Amino acid sequence: MRSLNPACKFTGLLAVTFVLAWRHDPVLNLIVSVLSILLILSARVKVKSLLLFMSPVLLFAVGMFFTGFYFSAGSDMPVNEKTMAFASSSFWNGLTLASRVLAFAGIGYLFALTTDRILLVRSFQKQFHLPQIFAYGLLAAWGILPHMMQEYRRTRAAFQARGIRTFAVSPALLGPLLVKSVRWSEELSIAMESKGFSGHEKRTDFQPVRVHGYDWFFLGLCIIVFPVAAVFV
Amino acid sequence: MSIQFKSLTFGYTESGKPLFSDFSAEFEKEKITILTGASGCGKSTLLYLAAGIYPHGGGFLHSGDVTVEGSLPEPLSPKKRCLLAGMMFQNPELQFCMDTVKNELVFCLENICTAPEAIEKTIDQALDFCEIRHLKDRTLLSLSGGERQKVMLACITALCPRWLLLDEPFANIDNEAARAIAGKLKELHQKFHMGILAVDHRLDNWLSIADEVRVLENGTLLPGAINPAAFDEKILESHGIIVPGRSYRPKLSLSEPGETILELKDVSLSYGEQDILKSVTASFCRGIIYAVVGESGCGKSSLFGVLSGLHKYRGSILFQGKELKKNRKKLGGRMGFVTQNPQDQFVGGTVRQEILTSLKGNPKAADISEEILRGIRLWRYRDVSPYLLSQGQQRRLGVAALMAYDCQVLVCDEPTYAQDRINTMAIMESLCQQARLHHAALIFSTHDRQLAKDYADEILQLKGGVLHAFSEPGM
Repeated sequence: MRSLNPACKFTGLLAVTFVLAWRHDPVLNLIVSVLSILLILSARVKVKSLLLFMSPVLLFAVGMFFTGFYFSAGSDMPVNEKTMAFASSSFWNGLTLASRVLAFAGIGYLFALTTDRILLVRSFQKQFHLPQIFAYGLLAAWGILPHMMQEYRRTRAAFQARGIRTFAVSPALLGPLLVKSVRWSEELSIAMESKGFSGHEKRTDFQPVRVHGYDWFFLGLCIIVFPVAAVFV
Repeated sequence: MSIQFKSLTFGYTESGKPLFSDFSAEFEKEKITILTGASGCGKSTLLYLAAGIYPHGGGFLHSGDVTVEGSLPEPLSPKKRCLLAGMMFQNPELQFCMDTVKNELVFCLENICTAPEAIEKTIDQALDFCEIRHLKDRTLLSLSGGERQKVMLACITALCPRWLLLDEPFANIDNEAARAIAGKLKELHQKFHMGILAVDHRLDNWLSIADEVRVLENGTLLPGAINPAAFDEKILESHGIIVPGRSYRPKLSLSEPGETILELKDVSLSYGEQDILKSVTASFCRGIIYAVVGESGCGKSSLFGVLSGLHKYRGSILFQGKELKKNRKKLGGRMGFVTQNPQDQFVGGTVRQEILTSLKGNPKAADISEEILRGIRLWRYRDVSPYLLSQGQQRRLGVAALMAYDCQVLVCDEPTYAQDRINTMAIMESLCQQARLHHAALIFSTHDRQLAKDYADEILQLKGGVLHAFSEPGM
């Protein structure tokens, strides 16, 4: 999965997502989610970190199951004794919703955990003709994020030291952060420009991101084989 | 060949008094020149003009021009400009846009259209020149400040501009890394004939490589270059430049030590597998000024982070005999924190609000806030946002806001960071005076030994994760 072209991977997985959104088939959903997890594991992602990422999703899936189970479309609202019964339709309904969560999360993680962000942006630039000013702007913004987190903790400690209670996203905390990010982005853009980056001039490409035969194969699998199989099987 | 400023008139506002009027100067390529002067004298502005960042990046050029090697840098495209004049900045954290050292160098070389097959080799040569080949695949985020500046130097080496302009490149890094980089700069100058013009208000790390030092004051270049091998310290000092080993001569009243207010018992902190603090034990009394010294990266900031609640620690910290972990929310300003950047501690929308926040619950808050603001000469800015004040004013406001509480311990992490001599003295004076006035314990960190010696009653050294009394022969 790691060696796939990121733009092709993105398009292919997006197609799969659309097909799943249109089909209400828990078996299909479960197959996709199990396949995603297997592919993630085959890309040498640590089991521990995968479990960490999956745990909120599992919780959400369980929640969705019971939502679907108790409030299935055919049952009489509000909840009465009848809906508490183990009806096969409501079980099916719950399973559909829960498996959807798992499938979408699986595809999302499959993409996120097996894609290098630099390669992704370069590939978008090459294959989707994303302007380079956006491409490198995105990468630079990504680099600022850790500073933002650190700064956020610092500001929060400063507020606490002055006896002001704050909660996670207090507007008061965001003010100083906003002022600083404007200053940072200015500094960063000057630094990028002083290294010769202009956003619209021609640059060379050290390792161009190419589309290989196996990328086309993956695309075909996702765009043609999967929808057909989903409909007929 | 040289950098020439010809009858330059430049200002940050269109109609106000310009920063430079009819300014002319020439810096020769054959000499490594250090441009020095007090904060705000316009030295960085000159550098930005020479690099072609100004005026399109800010300010107004009313007349005159700047030429580098005979050509105007500003109209050039960034690609051509970076080959004419490269820049190295103060803040090593905000110079990169890629994730790893290699990718950053690739980014630079792609910008100047280096042939793809030549890129790998150029990168290796640049890394070898800066002696950081081992960092090639490391992420930039995992590097120390000094290492990042070395990577920046490698980028410059790879781009190989005809001039290198440096804006206080050593401000955030320790002396060892600074000396290593200075040595490499000299080599770049000699081997590749790269012209070097640097701006700094600290001369310590430049003296060994500089050919001449020029002083900028109030928008004019003082006549005559100073020979770094033999200069009169008094002249530099009068221009607000920090001269290594010169006393700050503080005017401080003596104070009697009061009761113990803060106690650290076996405080330790680890970051991943690395132990940063190993059972730090110390006690601090009211009325005493403490300095914490130590090499860059020894854990000074981590120690202050522990005190301010930024990091989780093991061991115990007692404030007035009570465990700090449990009582942090009840402190209500009795322990004040002065951050490196005064902006980090502002909580109010206006200058007055800032003081009023500290006086919450006090029936006479309005009167007291007026008195405080008049005392620190900021009354006329009372309705202005604190972010709009100058750095010195921000610092005064920050300290006054903390002092409006019943502050008993004032903890300051490098309060004089990147300040020139005059500002350093003003900041320390105001901190120490306030501490004396309120009979508070003042704990500050610094990497300037002289500053610690001159202002502190007690000096503590943080070394190998342990804090102990610092003694130096002759003290």
